[in-house]
Amino acid sequence: MTDFLFDVIATELEDAVGRENCSTRTIDKLTHSVDYFWLSRMWADRGLRMPEGDFIVAPKDAKEVSAVLKIANYYKIPVTTWGAGGGTQGGAIPVCGGIVLDTKRMNKIYDVNEQGMYIECGTGAIYKHIEWAANEKGYATMHYPSSLTCSTVGGFLAHRGIGVSSTKYGKIDDMVLQMEVVLPNGDIIETSPAPKHAAGPDLNQIFIGSEGTLGVMTKAQMRIYEQPESRQFRGFLFHNMTDAFNAGRELLQKFKPSVMRLYDEAETASLIKKIVGVEKKGAFMNIAIEGVKEMADLEMKILLETFAKYGAEDLGSEYGEKWWKEKITFFYPGHMMDIPQCFGTMDTIAPYDKIEKIYWEMKKAIETNFPQAKFIAHFSHWYEWGCMIYDRFIVDGDKVPQDPHEAFRLHQAIWNCGVRTALANGGVVNDHHGVGIKLGRLMKEQYGPAMQVFEGIKKQLDPNGIMNPFKLGL
Amino acid sequence: MQFTKKSQEHIDSCRFCWMCHHVCPIGNATGLERNTARARALGLSLVMRDSIEYSDDIINNVYECSLCGGCMTDCVTGWDPVMFTKEARLGAALDGKLPEYVMTMLSNLNEKGNIYGADKNENIPEINGGDTLFFLGEDTRAKSCAKTAVELLQKAGVEFTLLKDEPNSGYSMDFLISAAAETKAMMENCAKVLNNYKKVVCYDPADAKVMMREYKEWGIEVKAEVVTFTRFLAELIKDGKLAVKNSGKEFTPQDSPILARDLEETAPIRDILSACGVVNEMLLNRAYTMLAGNLIMNEYMPNVIEKVAENRWFNAKNANAKVLVTTSTAEYEMLLKTKPEDMELKKIEEVVAECL
Repeated sequence: MTDFLFDVIATELEDAVGRENCSTRTIDKLTHSVDYFWLSRMWADRGLRMPEGDFIVAPKDAKEVSAVLKIANYYKIPVTTWGAGGGTQGGAIPVCGGIVLDTKRMNKIYDVNEQGMYIECGTGAIYKHIEWAANEKGYATMHYPSSLTCSTVGGFLAHRGIGVSSTKYGKIDDMVLQMEVVLPNGDIIETSPAPKHAAGPDLNQIFIGSEGTLGVMTKAQMRIYEQPESRQFRGFLFHNMTDAFNAGRELLQKFKPSVMRLYDEAETASLIKKIVGVEKKGAFMNIAIEGVKEMADLEMKILLETFAKYGAEDLGSEYGEKWWKEKITFFYPGHMMDIPQCFGTMDTIAPYDKIEKIYWEMKKAIETNFPQAKFIAHFSHWYEWGCMIYDRFIVDGDKVPQDPHEAFRLHQAIWNCGVRTALANGGVVNDHHGVGIKLGRLMKEQYGPAMQVFEGIKKQLDPNGIMNPFKLGL
Repeated sequence: MQFTKKSQEHIDSCRFCWMCHHVCPIGNATGLERNTARARALGLSLVMRDSIEYSDDIINNVYECSLCGGCMTDCVTGWDPVMFTKEARLGAALDGKLPEYVMTMLSNLNEKGNIYGADKNENIPEINGGDTLFFLGEDTRAKSCAKTAVELLQKAGVEFTLLKDEPNSGYSMDFLISAAAETKAMMENCAKVLNNYKKVVCYDPADAKVMMREYKEWGIEVKAEVVTFTRFLAELIKDGKLAVKNSGKEFTPQDSPILARDLEETAPIRDILSACGVVNEMLLNRAYTMLAGNLIMNEYMPNVIEKVAENRWFNAKNANAKVLVTTSTAEYEMLLKTKPEDMELKKIEEVVAECL
C-alpha cells in the first residue's frame, strides 16, 4: 500500500469512527497483535513482533461498524475483530494486517430486563461487567469461565465459550436470545426475537462460533438467572476414571448439577493438590448442586447414593468450597502454565461411549510421540449424553527448542498428534476455545465435504474474503 | 530504560495475563486495549528485550494509568502493575523523555507550588491554633475548597493550624516521576514542616498516603502523627465533640482507592455515615472500589477522566444511590463536574455539618 493510499484509508476510517478511535500508534498495534495464543506469547517473549494491524479502530455501535466494513470492502482490506484478546487460538490475531476492529467501545448495558430475564448489551462489554449489572439487581449470568473478567460478550459468542456451571445453565449458545449483527457488506441485521422457533434455521447459531469470519456481532440479549437459594459442594475421590464416568453419566440421567469437574490422577496430584489441598491419590471430582434449597437437599441425597455405588470416597464439602473460591486462581501467572514452557489445551467432546477411549488414546499418543511432554486432563462440562476433555500438554522450558521457529514446529506437531487422535476416535476439533488460526487446518479433516456448507455461507456473506482471513479454516 | 529485577519479574508475569482487565477505570472508560495492565506490561517487556524503543508512544501509555491499584488488588498472586508503571515513569524522567504535558506540570510545580499553575488561593485563611496541623494539600488549595471542613473543626473545638504557605507533600511529583531525587527532596522539605506539629490531619487522602507510605519507604522521618481527615472526623463524632443526629437519610460512600487500598481505611466513612443516616453500598465497595476521578490526569486526558467519573455515577445509580459521599478532593471535583441532575453529591464534612 502506498503512503498516499494509507492516508486516504486512515482518514476515511477516522471519519467513520472519530479520529481518537482510529489509531496507528505502535502501542495499539502491538497490544492487538499478542493474544493468549501460546505462539504469540512465545514470539513476544523472544522479542519478535507478531503480525500487526495497520489501523486499530474502535467503533461505538453497529452503524460505525457498518461504515468500517464498507470501507474495508471497497479497498479490500482484511478486518480482524478483537474483543479483549483473551482467546487461546489466535483467532484475534491480524495475520494479514489491515484493520483490527476492537469492539470494547460497544460496551453499553442497555437494559437489565427482569421481566424477560435478560441483559441487552453491546458485545464489547466485558462479561464480568454484565455479571455485576445482573448482581446489582439480585440476579446472575451463571456464565463463569476462568476468563470471565477478561473476555467480552462478543468474544464468548464468537468462539462458543463455556463456564464452570454449564451443566445446569448451558453454554454461551444456550444463553443468548437475540443478536444484532453487521454483515460483511455493512448491512445491519437482527436475529429472530426468540431463539426457539420454527421460522427456519436459527440465525444466532450461524454467527455464534463463526469467529469473526461472517460478520461482527454488535449487540446481544444474554440470559440472567435468579441467584440460587442454596449452592452446595461435594468433593469425591474415585479409584479410577471408568468409575467416575459411569457415576457421572448415571447422575445426569437423574438431575443436573451446576458444576461437574473430574480431574485425572495426574491433575489431581498436581493442580488440585496445590490449589485445593487434596493430598490423596485418585481422580478428584467436584460437584456443585444449586437452586431452591429443598430441591438441592434432595439432589445432594441422590448424588451421595449414586456416587457411593461406584466406590467414590466422599471428601465432604470443604474441597469443593475451596475449589469454588479458587476457581479462577488456577489461571493466574504462577499457577498456570506459562512461557518458557510450551503448552496447549486440546479440549474435545464426545458421547460417553467414546470419551474415555479418546482420553486414553490421546494420552498414549502424546506421551509416546513426545516423551518430553506431560499430559494432564480434567473433564469439566457434562451432558446427559457425554462430556468434554480439557486435556493439556506441557513441555518444560528447558526442553523447548531455542529457535522460535523450531519451538513453533514442536507445538504444531503436538497439536496435530493430539487433535488427530481425538478425531480418529470420535471427538471434535475443539469444545469451547474455538479454532482460530491454530486449528484451521484441522477443520477440513473433521468435516470433509461438510466443510462446503461453511465455505458456501462464507462466500455468500463475504465474497471479498475480508473478514478474519485464515481463521476457522475459511 | 533499565528496570529493577523485581519490576522485570512483574512485567513478565503481567504481559500475558488479562485477569484484571475488568477493574481498570481508565480501560473501562476508553474501551481501549492499551489501557490495561497487560498491554502496558507487554509494551514494557518488549522495551526490556530491545524489540522496541522506549518511545513517546510507549511513554504516553505509561501515563495513561491512574495508579489506582485496582489491578493490584484484584490479582490473587500479588503482581503489581502500579510498581512497574511508576518505575517506568521514573525511567522516562531519568532518560530525559518526559512528555511535554508532564514537563509543564513539573514546571508549574516548581514555579507555583502546584502542578496546575494556579496562583496562591488568598481565600484560605491562616490559622495559628496549636500543635495540630490541618493539611489541605495541593488539589484542594488549587482546585477545590475545604471551608466546611475548617468550620467543622472549629465547631468541634479543635485547636489547629492552617498554613498560609503549605509545603507540597510530594504526592503529585510522586505520581508523575515517582522516586526521583527531586521528589524525595520535596518530601523532605515537607517533612521538616510537619515535624513542627504533634499531629497532622490530612484533608486529602492523597497527601496522607505519601506521608504514611512513601516517606517511610524512603526513610524520611515524620515525627508527627499523620491521620486522615475522615478518621479524625469519625473520632470527633465518637468522642462526642461533634454531636450528630441521625437524619435517616441514605448515603452511599464512594471509597477513595487511596483510602481503601493504599491506607486500608474503609471503616471511618461508614462510621460517620451510619451516625448521620443509613449506609447504602455500591456493589464495588471498600478495597474493590472503582476510581471516580484524578485531577492530575484531568490535565492531560480530561475526556477520559470525565468518563471515569460518569462510570462511577452509573455504578451509583445501579445501587439506587441518592446521595454519593466522597472523601477525596479529586473524586469530588470530577464527580461534581459530571453529576446527573437527579442525584446528590456531598463531601463527608457536608454530611456531618447538615446533621449537627
